[in-house]
Amino acid sequence: MALRDWPIKRKLTALLLLTSGLVLLLTSAAFVTYQVVTFRQTMRDNLSTRARLLAANSTASLAFANDADATEVLSALKSDPHMVAAALYDQNGHVFATYRADPAADIPATPQPDGYRFERGRLIGFAPVAQQENARLGTLYLASDTEAVSDALRLSGIIALAVLAIALLAAYALAAALQGRISAPVLVLAQTAAAVSEHQDYSVRAPKLGDDELGKLTDAFNQMLGRIEEQKQELQQYATELEQRVAERTRELEQSNEALRRNAAELAASNDELDAFAYSVSHDLRAPLRSIDGFSQVLLEDFAAQLGDAGRDSLQRVRAASQRMATLIDDLLKLARVARAEFRIERVDLSTLAREIVSDIQRATPDRHVDFAITPGLEAQGDSRLLRVVLDNLLRNGWKYTGRQLAPRVEFTAEDKNGGRVFLIRDNGAGFDMQYVDKLFGVFQRLHSAAEFEGTGVGLATVRRIISRHGGRIWAESAVDQGATFYFTL
Amino acid sequence: MAFLITVLASAQLLVQTPRASEHHVKAVFLFNFAQFVEWPAANTQDMRAPLIIGILGDDPFGSILDEIVRGERIGARPFEVRRYRQVADIEACNLVFISRSEVARIPQILEALRNRPILTVSEGNDFAKQGGMIQFVNDKNRIRLRVNLEAAQAVNLTISSKLLRVAEIVRPARR
Repeated sequence: MALRDWPIKRKLTALLLLTSGLVLLLTSAAFVTYQVVTFRQTMRDNLSTRARLLAANSTASLAFANDADATEVLSALKSDPHMVAAALYDQNGHVFATYRADPAADIPATPQPDGYRFERGRLIGFAPVAQQENARLGTLYLASDTEAVSDALRLSGIIALAVLAIALLAAYALAAALQGRISAPVLVLAQTAAAVSEHQDYSVRAPKLGDDELGKLTDAFNQMLGRIEEQKQELQQYATELEQRVAERTRELEQSNEALRRNAAELAASNDELDAFAYSVSHDLRAPLRSIDGFSQVLLEDFAAQLGDAGRDSLQRVRAASQRMATLIDDLLKLARVARAEFRIERVDLSTLAREIVSDIQRATPDRHVDFAITPGLEAQGDSRLLRVVLDNLLRNGWKYTGRQLAPRVEFTAEDKNGGRVFLIRDNGAGFDMQYVDKLFGVFQRLHSAAEFEGTGVGLATVRRIISRHGGRIWAESAVDQGATFYFTL
Repeated sequence: MAFLITVLASAQLLVQTPRASEHHVKAVFLFNFAQFVEWPAANTQDMRAPLIIGILGDDPFGSILDEIVRGERIGARPFEVRRYRQVADIEACNLVFISRSEVARIPQILEALRNRPILTVSEGNDFAKQGGMIQFVNDKNRIRLRVNLEAAQAVNLTISSKLLRVAEIVRPARR
């Protein structure tokens, strides 16, 4: 497991152990190293001290050739198991007295120059024997093995290791006991956090142990939990309210929909009734009109002489009136037919339609010159016959209401607005007062008198019916004497 | 080189008669006594006054003693060897060796030297019992020492315990 993923307990304990272990190790190492480095010198010093003591004690023995006493002095060395051999030499270099720890130990036959050196695993030395600073009486030879110091070194090494081990154990125990001071608050905090996130229970609070940075962390944590709890409650309230409102709105919507549906059904029913009514009435009204017109004509033709001018004039008026009525009825019929006609959707070239209509108008009235501006390439999806009626109506209206302009102009073009196509027919004719725009598309509604402009007031109603069937909208903008623009979508 | 000298020295010892080598040893001992004995301060007015070894009677040493002490010092004091025929001749002296030739007169000699801080050394038997301070004793080719400590102490001569250790201490015969 990577070091950073260790539990805090283990980290702290390891840290403490490492620190104390390192310190102990360094100390022990320094100590043992010092001993190793100085052991030779220590050995030499020890041997030289001993040699001097022995030499001082042997002066009389040598001076007075008492080898028994000399041997006795040397034999005191047997108390030291590390002394291998010793010997006293007289002034002539002869061996005077000896000591051997091991009978096989060898002793030099003659003394060598004074001094100490390590030789074949032993420390040997030659020291002068003299009473104070007087003439030399002889030489002392000492040989010791190096085990004493090795033993000492080994011992100190073992002690160092033992101390190290015990100290480490103690450090471990102490670390394990004390790391809790640091880790306990952290663990408690971690546990609380885990419990909160697992059970989504924000009413839990972490206990505060101590006033250090961890304590502050705990406080902040608890505050956060408190705020989360509050917000959660607030959210829940909002959610509940929202649900209520949504339910209400849904109910309202459903009610409106119901009402709308009913209205639509009623409207549809009304329209059907109206269409039926218009159709039958037109037919029924036609018959008498035909009689009126027919018999008026008979009168005019057959009884012209008897009628006189006034009579003929009156009959003409009768005929004109009845003809006008017939037109009106025809228009009404058209309107009704539009409502009941079959609806076939296909791609319709509006520009071509418009041009045909315009040429019809121009052929019918060659002496009136109106400038028709038709944007080419205008297309739409819809019933071509019905659309022809729309264009016919709107273009003729434009032609009609520019009758009094000097430079009459009628435009048919399209704009792209808000992602949809809007067709418009604009004229620079008489225009109308926007105050009455609502009446524009009403049946039989006319905003100009028959004296100003002739018409039945049915055309725009028809247009609107057709546009509605295509699922579009139609509206108009105008100002008096400044022309009018009719917009429609499909 | 040291080995050669040692061999020659040993050879010389072998060539010489035992008696001669015995006296060589004794001469060395006399020289060594100076290292293990302290004379009272009155006798050393000048720290550089020579330490006088006297020989009373026939001189058995020949030139040996002179050679041994030549060039040697105790502290700052050089050695001097004097020979006396009679005890009355002894004036300034630190150590006197009484030769065998005077054996018969030992008691008188010792009496004459009473109260004088002179270390008395001799070879005769009973020398120590008679009041002499150090007696050479022949013992199986070795020269042993017999010391009469009280005699030395009587004239304020301090004999080092080291010397005493290698010597036999005797008490004077009670009169």
